[in-house]
Amino acid sequence: MSETLTARPALAGIALPGRHGTGNGAPGVTLRERTDLGVVAVMARKGQGEALRMAVASAYRATLPDTARYLAGQTVGFVGTGPGQWLAVSASLGGGALAVDLTAKLAGLASVSDQGDGRAVIRIAGPRARDVLAKGLPIDLHPSVFAPGSAATSIISLMGVTLWQVDETPAYDLVVFRSLAVSFWSWLTDSAAEYGYEVVPATN
Amino acid sequence: MRIRCPYCGERGLEEFTYRGDATVTRPETLDQTAEAAWVDYVYLRDNPAGPHREHWYHGAGCHAWLVVTRDVRTHEILGVELAGGPA
Ligand SMILES: [Zn+2]
Repeated sequence: MSETLTARPALAGIALPGRHGTGNGAPGVTLRERTDLGVVAVMARKGQGEALRMAVASAYRATLPDTARYLAGQTVGFVGTGPGQWLAVSASLGGGALAVDLTAKLAGLASVSDQGDGRAVIRIAGPRARDVLAKGLPIDLHPSVFAPGSAATSIISLMGVTLWQVDETPAYDLVVFRSLAVSFWSWLTDSAAEYGYEVVPATN
Repeated sequence: MRIRCPYCGERGLEEFTYRGDATVTRPETLDQTAEAAWVDYVYLRDNPAGPHREHWYHGAGCHAWLVVTRDVRTHEILGVELAGGPA
C-alpha cells in the first residue's frame, strides 16, 4: 500500500486566522506564516568567493552581502548567515525549484542545500513588533542600529532563529527550524498577546 | 561576558562555546619521532595569569570559529578574529 504525502505548512491548524490576545482594537502586530517559499543554504567553495559573487550578480541581479544583511535581487534575496554562507529566499521559485536553479547556476562555486522543507518562515509586522521580539531576542532592534535590510542569526528562548527587517512598519521575517515551529509559535503568540495580535492566512 | 564576533557584532556568552587553547599547534606528522610534540599538543597547557588566546565557536550565530584574546584575570576581551582568517 502506498501513501501519498502532501506538502503541509508547518503551522497548519496551529496559526488560526483572526484577532487574538488583549483588546479588540487595532492589533499591535500581525503574524503570518510565509509558505511555498524557496529557502536554500548556499556556502562558498574554498577560494571561489569572488567567482560566486559574479555568478550571483549575473544570474539573479543580486548582491551577496559580506555581512549579516538581507539584499533583495530580482527573484531571489540573499541573507548573510555567516562568513561565506547565505540563505537564499524566493517567493517565485517555491518548492524545490530554487535549489535546482541555484545548483545549476552556481555549479562548482558553492555548495547548495535545500532547506525549504526544513524551515518555517513567519512574518511579524506592526507597531509593537520590536516589543514582541525584545522579550526573547538578545539583539538590539532599535532603528538606529537595525534597519530594513539588517539581518541576524541568534536565539530566542533557546531556539535558533535567523531574521531580517523587511520594511519600516516595522516588519521582520523570522526563520526557524520547522521542527521547532510550533514551540516558536507558542513563544511568539505568548509574547504578542499583551499587545493584541491578528493572524493573517498563510501566503508566500 | 560579551564577545564581539567579527561577523555578528557583540553577543552574549550564551551564544558561544569555549573550544580550548588556541596557542598550541598540531604536529605535522603521526611519526613516532613526534611523540613528545603530540604529548605537548594534547596534554600540556600553560596557565598564564593574563592575556590568553582561545578558540570560541559561535554556534548560535554565524557558526564561525573565533580566536579570542582574553585576560583570564579580568575577562577583558582584548581582540577577536576569525580563526580561518578573513572570509
Ligand atoms: Zn558570529
